[in-house]
Amino acid sequence: MELKQWISQMSIGSLLTLKLFFATIFISLILGLATTFLYTSKNKYISKITGFYILIMRGTPLLLQIFFVFFGLPYLPFIGKYLVFDRFTAGAVAFILNYTAYYAEIFRGGLLSIDNGQYEAAKVLGMTALQTKFKIILPQMFRVSLPAISNEAIILVKDTALITTIGLTDLLQVTKTIVNRTTNISAFVVAALFYLVMSYILTIFFKFLEKRFAY
Amino acid sequence: MNMIEVKNLKKSFGDLEVLKDISFDVKKGEVIAALGPSGSGKSTLLRSLIELEKIDGGSIIIEGNFLCKDGKYPPEKKIAAIRSKMGMVFQHFNLFPHMSVKDNLICAPLMQKTAPKNELIKKCQALLDKVGLIDKIDAAPSSLSGGQKQRVAIARALMLNPDILLFDEPTSALDPELTKEVLNVIKQLAEDKMTMIIVTHEIGFAYEAADKILFMTDGYILDYDTPEKVLKNNSNERINQFLNNVI
Ligand SMILES: Nc1ncnc2c1ncn2[C@@H]1O[C@H](COP(=O)(O)OP(=O)(O)OP(=O)(O)O)[C@@H](O)[C@H]1O
Ligand SMILES: [Mg+2]
Repeated sequence: MELKQWISQMSIGSLLTLKLFFATIFISLILGLATTFLYTSKNKYISKITGFYILIMRGTPLLLQIFFVFFGLPYLPFIGKYLVFDRFTAGAVAFILNYTAYYAEIFRGGLLSIDNGQYEAAKVLGMTALQTKFKIILPQMFRVSLPAISNEAIILVKDTALITTIGLTDLLQVTKTIVNRTTNISAFVVAALFYLVMSYILTIFFKFLEKRFAY
Repeated sequence: MNMIEVKNLKKSFGDLEVLKDISFDVKKGEVIAALGPSGSGKSTLLRSLIELEKIDGGSIIIEGNFLCKDGKYPPEKKIAAIRSKMGMVFQHFNLFPHMSVKDNLICAPLMQKTAPKNELIKKCQALLDKVGLIDKIDAAPSSLSGGQKQRVAIARALMLNPDILLFDEPTSALDPELTKEVLNVIKQLAEDKMTMIIVTHEIGFAYEAADKILFMTDGYILDYDTPEKVLKNNSNERINQFLNNVI
C-alpha cells in the first residue's frame, strides 16, 4: 500500500470523525441548554421526565446507546419503521442524546453556582424574568461552565472512535486496516497525533474563551 | 405625605413567625435607621417592602398605592410599577460581575427604554462622579474594593430615579475605613432629601444621619422615634441592653 493512498484514506476517515464531532458538539450544546431549562422548570412532571432522561443517558454505556439507536429502534412496535437510520445518522443521534444529558448537567451546575443576589438585584432594578435570564444569568452560567464544557469536548474527540462498532469507517477504523495491510505501525502514530492535535486545539480555544469572558 | 405606610404586617417562614404586627409610616424625605438584634426581622421587613418577600397579612402602601392590601397582592404589572418607585442596596452589593461598571449602571434603564443611550451614559457619568468613582467607569466590578463596589451599587440604584431607597446593612461587609466612604455617600443622599430606610449596626451613623430610629425585636417594633429619644433617653431595658452590647 502506497503512502499517498493511505494518507488519502486516513483523510477521509478523519473527515468522518470531524463531522461526527462537530455535529454532536453543536447540537448537544444547544439541546443541553434547553434540557437544563426543562430540568429546572417549576413544572414537576417536566422536571421529573427530564431527570429520568438524564439518568438513563448517564447511567448506561454510550456503546449500548449507539447499538440501541442503530439496531434496536427499528424493532420498536408501530413507530419502529420510521426509526430506521443510516449508520452515520444513527451514530450521531446516539452521541447527541448522550452528550445532551452531560451538557445539561454541566449547565445546571453553572446555574446553581449563581448567587441568589443576582436575581434579586435584577428584580429590584425592574428587569423581567426573561431579561434577567438572558442578560444576567446565562452569560454567567456559560462562563462558569466553560472548563467543564471544554473537558467534555475533549472526551468527545476520543469517544467518536466508538462509531466503528456500527460499521462506519472513521479515522480509527481506517488506521486499523492500514496497519493490518502494511504491517507497519506508523499509521497508529499518525492517528494518535490527529486526536492529540485536535484535543490541543480545543484546549487552546477554550482557554481563549475563558480569558475573553473572564471577570 | 406618607411615602410608605405599613399596617399590621405579618410574615412567617413556615411555622416561624418573623414579623408579628408591624405598623409604621415614613414621610417624604425622612431617613429611617432600622436597628435591632440579629434575627429580629429587619431584613425581612425591608425585603417585604420591595416585594422580595411576600407577606401573609396586613397592608403595604407605597406613595398611596397598595403593594399589598390585607395580605392580597395586585397583578404583577401593578406590583412592578410600585416596585419601580424604590431602589435597594444589598449587604453584598450584588453587582453584575460580567459587566463593566458602566453597563451595571445603564443596563436596567436601557432595557426599560427610560431615555436614549447617550443620555443614560451622561447620567451614569454624573452619578459616578457624585459617588467619587468616575475614573472607574470602565472597570470590572472584580477590580474594585468593597467600598467602591457599594458606591457603584448605590449609583446603579439611583439610575432609575427611585423615590425611596432601601439599604440592608450596606456597610456590614466593609472595613471601617471603607465604611466611612459609603456612609458619606448615604449622608449626601440624606441632604438631598432622599427618602431612605437603612438597616445598620452603625449606631453613630444612625444617631447623626437618621430622622428616626426604628427599633425591632422579635418581629415587633419596640420603638419608633427620634435618635435623641431612642438612643439617648430611653428607659426600655432591651434597647439599652442592645446599645450597651453594640457600643
Ligand atoms: N428565607 C427564609 N426562610 C426561613 N427563615 C428565614 C428566611 N429569612 C429569614 N428567616 C428567619 O427569619 C428571622 C428574621 O430574619 P432577618 O434576616 O429578617 O433578621 P435580621 O433582623 O435582618 O437579622 P440580622 O441582623 O442578622 O441581619 C430569622 O430567624 C431568620 O432565621
Ligand atoms: Mg438582616
